[in-house]
Amino acid sequence: MIASVGDGLAVVDKGGKILMLNPAAAKMLKLSAQDVVGKDYIETVPAADNDGQIIPREKRSLNVVLSSGQSFTNHTANYYVRSDGTKFPGAITTSPIIFENNIIGAIITFRDITHEKEVDRMKTEFLSLASHQLRTPLSAIRWFVEILLSGDAGPLNREQREFLGNVDESTNRMVALINDLLNITRIESGRIIIDPKPTDLGKLIEGIMAEVKSKYLAKSQKIILSIHPKLDKINVDPNLLRAVYLNLINNSIKYTPSGGEITIFISRKGDYILSQVTDNGVGIPQAEQKRVFQKFFRGRNIVKKVVEGTGLGLYLVKAIIESSNGKIYFKSQENKGTTFWFTVPASGILAKKGEVSITS
Amino acid sequence: MATKRPTVLVVEDEVLLLQAICTKLKLSNIDALSASSAQQALYYLKNLSRVPEAIWLDYYLGDSDGITFMKKLRSNKKFQNIPVMVISNSASPQKVQSMYKLGIKKYLIKADHRLDEIITDLKELIKSNKTN
Repeated sequence: MIASVGDGLAVVDKGGKILMLNPAAAKMLKLSAQDVVGKDYIETVPAADNDGQIIPREKRSLNVVLSSGQSFTNHTANYYVRSDGTKFPGAITTSPIIFENNIIGAIITFRDITHEKEVDRMKTEFLSLASHQLRTPLSAIRWFVEILLSGDAGPLNREQREFLGNVDESTNRMVALINDLLNITRIESGRIIIDPKPTDLGKLIEGIMAEVKSKYLAKSQKIILSIHPKLDKINVDPNLLRAVYLNLINNSIKYTPSGGEITIFISRKGDYILSQVTDNGVGIPQAEQKRVFQKFFRGRNIVKKVVEGTGLGLYLVKAIIESSNGKIYFKSQENKGTTFWFTVPASGILAKKGEVSITS
Repeated sequence: MATKRPTVLVVEDEVLLLQAICTKLKLSNIDALSASSAQQALYYLKNLSRVPEAIWLDYYLGDSDGITFMKKLRSNKKFQNIPVMVISNSASPQKVQSMYKLGIKKYLIKADHRLDEIITDLKELIKSNKTN
């Protein structure tokens, strides 16, 4: 029965020695199912991460599974290396075999997802291409509306001005949507450049506050900045982190009524730099909180109040933070307010070569 | 003496965009010379009695691209000091970097800016180029 399973399947004992490899696994890995019995699985089947780096023993999920009893799908490994040195992307699940409360071994199931990866790449490429193409006609709409609105093609009556203003607003919204979509395709495709530089977070926030000043002043909101005065410069990509802060702060301004209060707090906490943005705004409805980081999600309580918004900001924020080895959390209560906080390692993040950056 | 209106050569292969740009430039007291291809732009440059004060350049042109255009432009001594501003909807870091290396002064994303913002930048550019 096991021999007929189409997915790759391997069974190891508690020491990580191979007990069995099914024919599908042997075929995918280009190994002989008989010869590998008794050999060390981690050594026999090397795994690589997204950058093609071989994953060291202590970071292999099998190692963790055998010691902790936890189960993992694509924990660290995203590629398996065949006996001839070539690699294939895999969906790999490692689960412990538990007998009478003892971990006696593990089962690893995997399948080759080259095709899925390729389809995903094509989707991302299409989205990127389509977004770029959309920018050209949008520029034409934007610029002609600008000419009409400024009266350069003759005077407008009040109604014409109002309607053209609506066209202008919608066009700008579409531009923002396309920019967000492009940024998402860049992050999802893994082509994004991560270029860490020693960054003074206080200065970064100062710059952002200057940029959003007109928005919070227009709503007479109070901004409280609490940035640890003795924070060392941290090695992060200022461009990416800027997008994170800007998104969170803009959200707070947008979804906090006039006269409200927004607090920005940055400090060091152990090995992490903690950043927090709190507002006493409209909040996120309890029932919708698990969807906050989903693409195109917008709270039902804000869709009616604020027209502007793409539903992509927080998805992007989460993707950026995770690409910087950080984590993001939030708590929110409807009509009381929202706090988002995130961490990035104080030791900084590693550079990553790529082709695209988030502003292009 | 009244200051003469500056002339800007606009190289853009999308006819509608070219129309919008040139309309707005003229309203902003700038003479616009419109070229819808790189070939046309280079032809104008060679046959003009005087060098334009600046060039407004799209990156992807029907018959060429920004890098090829800049190389051709800068290969002629007469045109080495014309400030060039690129306004394109595609701006990968590699492209932007290569274009700056070829001496452009600014690289903007079309859809992200109003015409009057770009023209303000362009006027600044012409002004600073004159004083240098």
